[in-house]
Amino acid sequence: MALLEVSHIEKHFGQTKVLSDISFSLDQGQSLAIIGSSGSGKTTLLRCLNFLETPTSGTISVGGAVIFDAAQPAAQREEELRQKRLHFGLVFQSFNLFPQYTALQNVTLALHLRDEKGARREEIDRAGMELLEKMGLADRAAHYPHQLSGGQQQRVAIARALALKPDVLCFDEPTSALDPELTGEVLKVIRALGQQHTTMIIVTHEMAFARDVADQVIFMDGGVIVEQGPAREVIEAPREERTRQFLAHYAET
Amino acid sequence: MEMFLTVLGALNVGFVQTLKLFVTTLLGALPLGLVISFGSMSSFKPLRCLTRFFVWVIRGTPLMLQLIVIYYGPGTITGRSPWPAGEAGRFLAAAIMFIINYSCYFSEIYRGGIQSVPVGQQEAGLVLGLTRRQIFFKVTLLQMVKRIVPPMSNEIITLVKDTSLARIISFQEVIWAGQAFMKTSHGYSGLVWPLFFTGIYYLIFSGLMTLLLGALEKKLDYFR
Repeated sequence: MALLEVSHIEKHFGQTKVLSDISFSLDQGQSLAIIGSSGSGKTTLLRCLNFLETPTSGTISVGGAVIFDAAQPAAQREEELRQKRLHFGLVFQSFNLFPQYTALQNVTLALHLRDEKGARREEIDRAGMELLEKMGLADRAAHYPHQLSGGQQQRVAIARALALKPDVLCFDEPTSALDPELTGEVLKVIRALGQQHTTMIIVTHEMAFARDVADQVIFMDGGVIVEQGPAREVIEAPREERTRQFLAHYAET
Repeated sequence: MEMFLTVLGALNVGFVQTLKLFVTTLLGALPLGLVISFGSMSSFKPLRCLTRFFVWVIRGTPLMLQLIVIYYGPGTITGRSPWPAGEAGRFLAAAIMFIINYSCYFSEIYRGGIQSVPVGQQEAGLVLGLTRRQIFFKVTLLQMVKRIVPPMSNEIITLVKDTSLARIISFQEVIWAGQAFMKTSHGYSGLVWPLFFTGIYYLIFSGLMTLLLGALEKKLDYFR
């Protein structure tokens, strides 16, 4: 059974419909890449999954349990959403690290805040250090974000998201804010996560990366899913004309 | 020399009152300003409008006039002043008006500070499952403080000198003490220089404040 089941998600901003009838599912340990031009609704979809936006209609299920149903606003109280959004982790395009905390403190802040009595303090710090090591940043643990390069900051942000052990880790154009020479180190880390069967959804403009790392690819345009299928098929042999146009445009640049 | 020491003693007594008003105003207005800033950012429109109207009235009229109104107004209308007699009543009235006045100015500085923290900070906190309260206290607050130190320094230096406005309701602060020597005070009459000399007190004190706030700014230099 699918770990994540998204069905008939719609999102309106006032009169504008930015997402319509979005349905897909994702198995445990699989990764999904979402591609499409700017304004196609990719980021909004990711924000809906993390409840930074509330879908206008549709349902979201994780592990067979419905965690969001737009038809039941009563179950969308802040406190419940706060618990439910922990099924998802989110890595932002602009990192959004907390500038006043060190790399390690960024990774462990949420866990320390939950550990009210401080009983697990050392354990949490150890786990945080392990995550930073995994990201190749053990020697940067005591650095503040402004002392790190963009690529390093994004890797700290990935460690921060992983620290909460989300069921599904989401990436919102994780390399778009980086200089070309820094994208490699971030993509390498995400690739390694894929090899360890982390369930991931990656919004990206890196087509080769999507093809190599993702199991599934969704191509979105104008707020709808135009095509979805196995990564290689969609990117190398798209069935839809619009997908072909989009990919051809990418090949040119 | 004896005259100088006598005048200095009298001015010191006045300056202690100045300091009392300064410290009380800060202790009250720093937190109250935060409450007012939340009101002016509330998503509940009536509260937001009411708060902004209040801030407009307070910032739009002279503090000196406000002091006169709060101290003499109630008595003029009802025929009986609600304030305790003497210096205690004058201090109370002045402190309340200063706190209200300054918290309105502070609230706008806080609002600017909070709104200048990128919304991504809040979103990062949300996706990590933090509560709104945790996000404010653990993420937003320190970034806001860092941003508002320079404008706050300005307001605090202004407050040092604004305390002299309480003179208008005969609160016996340092200017009042200096001016008293122009008539008769402590056995001396017709002295003008004590009033001029009060300027030294303000200079030294605002100098100290500048150093203190500069140190705070420096302390927050460890992040950007």
